[in-house]
Amino acid sequence: MSTIRERVENFLYKEARLMDENAYLEWADLFADDCLYWVPSNLEDYDPDKHVSIMYGDRNFLKNHVERLAEGKAFAQQPRSRMRRIVSNIEIEDAENDDELRVFANFSVTEIRKHEQRTHAGRSEYKLTSENDTFRIKYKKVNLVSLDEAQDNVTFLL
Amino acid sequence: MIESNGQQIDYDELVKEDAVHGDVYFRQDIFDDELKRIYQDGWVYVGHESEIPNAGDFTRSWLGIQPLIFSRDKAGKYHVLYNRCTHRAASICQEDWGNTNGFRCEYHGWFFRDNGELAAVPYADGYGKDFDKSKLNLRKPPRVAEYRGFVFASASETGSSLLEHISGPARQQIDYFCDLSPEGEIIVQCGATKLAYNGNWKLQMENSIDGYHPNFTHQSFFSTIERMTGTKPDIFDGRSDVEIRDLGLGHTNIDYRRHNLADPGAHARLEGLQQTSWGKKYYGDMVDAYGKDRAEEVILVGGTHMNVFPNLVVLGQQVRTIRPVNPERTEVYLRPTLLKGVPDELNTSRIRMYEAFYSPHGGGIHDDVEMFNRVHEGLRCSADPWLIFRRGLHREKVDDDGTRYGQCTDEVSQRGMWRHWKSIMQAEIER
Repeated sequence: MSTIRERVENFLYKEARLMDENAYLEWADLFADDCLYWVPSNLEDYDPDKHVSIMYGDRNFLKNHVERLAEGKAFAQQPRSRMRRIVSNIEIEDAENDDELRVFANFSVTEIRKHEQRTHAGRSEYKLTSENDTFRIKYKKVNLVSLDEAQDNVTFLL
Repeated sequence: MIESNGQQIDYDELVKEDAVHGDVYFRQDIFDDELKRIYQDGWVYVGHESEIPNAGDFTRSWLGIQPLIFSRDKAGKYHVLYNRCTHRAASICQEDWGNTNGFRCEYHGWFFRDNGELAAVPYADGYGKDFDKSKLNLRKPPRVAEYRGFVFASASETGSSLLEHISGPARQQIDYFCDLSPEGEIIVQCGATKLAYNGNWKLQMENSIDGYHPNFTHQSFFSTIERMTGTKPDIFDGRSDVEIRDLGLGHTNIDYRRHNLADPGAHARLEGLQQTSWGKKYYGDMVDAYGKDRAEEVILVGGTHMNVFPNLVVLGQQVRTIRPVNPERTEVYLRPTLLKGVPDELNTSRIRMYEAFYSPHGGGIHDDVEMFNRVHEGLRCSADPWLIFRRGLHREKVDDDGTRYGQCTDEVSQRGMWRHWKSIMQAEIER
């Protein structure tokens, strides 16, 4: 029987691999139907109804986002980014109830596209709900280190 | 013409009526000439008044590559200050925005008030009896002016006034944007998304008012719309009734008026707006503020889509500032705006609509940026250095207000921008 930490780690590593391999649709399937996905801009926390975000949306929004990327006509990802990310510093907060875990993890992505190598890093917050032997992402918030900087191209999955 | 490395820049050889030479996008001597003529002596957009609503508020901005502070003093007056200590040049403001009671230069401790006045110099007796610190206030561009809260500065003592620069047809477009608020005010206070690219600043200006590229560059966005609604948008095709306009003096516009005001679509959209309680309230407040005809016109036109030469784009929900970093590097700050005096739901929907296309994870803007990078790469080919801006030249028309216009996909707007750019670059100036 694996521990909660092992299950969470396995899940986050799988998510990282799907993002790294531009497996757009498979990645989106990790999210729950009532999910919320948020990448803040300028600041780490605020009311997203009153301040702009790099991305803020529900399952439907996420679906449109990944289908657009998967179709192959999003030229900012033609060619696609090659990347690998390290996920670490995982902290698991006591489950508020048996069904939902609050998890924090740092990430660092090394990305190459059109001969330019870049590094992007940040910290993600998750709310994970148990489903069978794995999880679904109910909430994911990605705080980029560069959240207030001019970005050349961050159109790959975060 | 100017002297540069002993060579004269002949702008007649670089900008033709229907084509532009690739050199204008990366030559350092041309960039330096632009910094002087356009980004120093001309009117340059600095920021919107609503970004600094309270005493002590400040943001940073630029006149070309020169760093500025845009601040509001205790009396409520705004100031455009050079971000440079008058002692030994250190920048005195390190944050992009905030609130402060003044700016201290941390190098030697000189302290300036939020209106730029030099308030304190450590060990001032070391400068002798005749030291007059009132002569060492923060430097300011000599001319600062605004239109509807959009604040511009010019480092030249002389030249046309701001209202001469932003001529009538351009002001009319800004009015459409601001009048979407029943109180006539936009609020630039909900943050920014920022992008950068390897390429010249003019690539962004050309693209912002380009009605030819959307159906191609933005295929993925329109596919998304089609998947969501079952309909493929046709407003940017070769038969669209959307117009492209040269408003004069380098200002340009994608003009949706004819398209958006036409029935039956217009009537249906006004009906649709009033289906929600907040939409009904907004419609009512707009009619109270402007009268039915103007209110409906403003709502249907839906803002504007324009460039204010050289560095401001007012488009959809956003105010966009273009910042040339060097000939081959540009940063763009995009700020969605809120409308004063409207239901929260409307302002939130403006933010979401903005993000859908323009945020770094949105469905459109980075496909544009990809094209800037591709143009920048292609510019290196010397076999044929010309970029062609000929589209629609044969069918360009002049409207009653003197503006030139053409069909949506025509390059009327880019020709207008380049015509103005050339006239500035060729003007006689003192050096």
